[in-house]
Amino acid sequence: MTSFEEPAITRQGVDEAILSCEGLTKAFGGVNAVNGATFDVPRGKITALIGPNGAGKTTVVNILSGAMKSDSGSMRLGSTDITNWERYKIARLGLMRTFQLSRELSGLTVLENLLAAPKVQAGESLFNIFFRPRLLKREERQNIERATEILRTYGLYDLRDNRARELSGGQKKLLEISRGVMASPSLFLLDEPMAGVNPALIERIGGYILDMKAQGVTVLMIEHNLNIVEKICDNVIVLAEGRTLATGRLSDLRNNPEVVQAYLGEVINAGTGH
Amino acid sequence: MSAFWYYVFTLVFFLFDYFILAMGLNIQYGETGILNFAYIAFVALGAYVTGAVSMPNSVGTGQQYIFGWGIPFPFNLIMGGVAAMVLAFVVALITLRRLRTDYLAMVLISLSLVFYDIVNNYVRLFNGADGLYNVPEPMSGVFHLTLNAFVPFFALVTGAVALILWGVMSRITRSPLGRTFRAIRDDPDVAAALGKGVFRYQLTSMLIGSFYAGVGGGLLIQFGGSFNPTAWLPGETFVVFAVIIVGGVGNNVGLLMGALLVETLLIHLPAFLPNIPGHPGLIEYIDTMVVGVVLMLMLWFRPQGVVPERLRRFPQPAGELANRDGHSVAPPEQSHYVAAITTDDSEPKDAQ
Ligand SMILES: Nc1ncnc2c1ncn2[C@@H]1O[C@H](COP(=O)(O)OP(=O)(O)O)[C@@H](O)[C@H]1O
Ligand SMILES: [Mg+2]
Repeated sequence: MTSFEEPAITRQGVDEAILSCEGLTKAFGGVNAVNGATFDVPRGKITALIGPNGAGKTTVVNILSGAMKSDSGSMRLGSTDITNWERYKIARLGLMRTFQLSRELSGLTVLENLLAAPKVQAGESLFNIFFRPRLLKREERQNIERATEILRTYGLYDLRDNRARELSGGQKKLLEISRGVMASPSLFLLDEPMAGVNPALIERIGGYILDMKAQGVTVLMIEHNLNIVEKICDNVIVLAEGRTLATGRLSDLRNNPEVVQAYLGEVINAGTGH
Repeated sequence: MSAFWYYVFTLVFFLFDYFILAMGLNIQYGETGILNFAYIAFVALGAYVTGAVSMPNSVGTGQQYIFGWGIPFPFNLIMGGVAAMVLAFVVALITLRRLRTDYLAMVLISLSLVFYDIVNNYVRLFNGADGLYNVPEPMSGVFHLTLNAFVPFFALVTGAVALILWGVMSRITRSPLGRTFRAIRDDPDVAAALGKGVFRYQLTSMLIGSFYAGVGGGLLIQFGGSFNPTAWLPGETFVVFAVIIVGGVGNNVGLLMGALLVETLLIHLPAFLPNIPGHPGLIEYIDTMVVGVVLMLMLWFRPQGVVPERLRRFPQPAGELANRDGHSVAPPEQSHYVAAITTDDSEPKDAQ
């Protein structure tokens, strides 16, 4: 665990973007789920992706991670154009994601869920299995050590030999996040990591996300709870009807009438009209 | 040798051979989640190729077949396995990339029917509906065995092959590769999100499993000396599925149990029972029904099989031992940040 740091103030336009996408669109039948989303994710920061239900947030994450192909638009990860890349290749560049409804590898144990995560393993090659057993043993030992450490941090250590399907909802959320961490991402996309979990766990997950940042991981998280966004996110991207409505710090966005109407206004019904 | 031992070793042969077949289907379906409903086609191709490469040139034999190279055992067997792999490669390229599991299963069933018709009707390939016969007895030049001695001999040879293939398979399923297969079985989207090239691994699994299918088929034709389309009706695939489901998907020991229970006890043993007077062939029909009923009962009451998939535990790193003070129940390490976050339960979306 690293030491405490105040979230740095975002200097818009100065930060280097780890991810930038431009004009992403995706239609399902007649529904334009994503309709020209354009934004940058600054490196080393925690960025929130907010917007009303159905705004297209999950679809954006699906596109960025390669799970879906966009109809048009482009995206770059670091200096690499990853538009239309296959999802596993994007993952190998260091982009990990979680799913809105947690998806565990149900028949594998908790520990195996983490052991499966490192992107490329020598032990996944038939040649190595039969001709380089020592290399395999060493790699596996290192992975087990690291996985054990992560499981301890996430409070899942005692469940390590349980099949993942036996876990509770909250534990599955933790498992999914820790599995992503095990893969050493440079950019981690979290789709509502705190949805449906109890307040104590929300706090813990918030802490883990800040820890990731301290360790140099860039985080883009979809989150509805603006309290949390306020506390841990450096930067906010507002999505509405598949379009980027605004980006910036939450405190600034609260004064943006368009944002208030599209999203915040959903709750307080305070809009200024177009 | 008495007829009794002849029967016993026939059963032993089928036990080992179906163990091999079950291992092949298990790595595809049990480990990787590929619902290969065309499995028996790979077995058949292995059988035909094993036979056809070991037979002499077809001219003057009264049969029509390709190859005819006089390749001796066990090299012909390996070629049978490789032929099944080649078919798997082609089938995987056509089907695996695009299709979801359920569609894949349907396409594979159709492919196996097509393959069946081709072999049955295109006589020049493997002698059509008559199939191959007079396949040279394996190692006959070395051992000069009578038919009665050949049966136990070949049952043991098959046992030895099964043992080797078991060793190889355990090594694969216990490795990180096996773990990646199971990750893909459980959720291919998650596996891909973790950077696993799903297609490549499914292809690998298909190839390994098909080699087992081909070798198992090759042993069949070497045991009986003949092989024709009645031996591999497309429904036979489901017998192998019954073996792995009854025995226990994802567990090699379970597969041996499944082969014993389904293939040996249910399918082959009743064939040696005396006919029910006045109802010849009745036992055979009841037999198939019994397999179906057993399969349903298993799926209903014990879907994990007789011997369920093993829980894979790992030795813990050395540091763990030092910590073993009765509460390895490590409380989650406190994050330095947790204190910085407060949760008031006010409406999350409140603004201003
Ligand atoms: N796979 C899909 N097929 C059809 N429509 C979809 C699919 N995924 C999302 N949608 C639609 O796209 C819109 C955006 O969905 P989504 O990205 O899940 O929104 P959010 O995550 O912001 O709540 C919604 O109208 C949703 O119904
Ligand atoms: Mg969503």
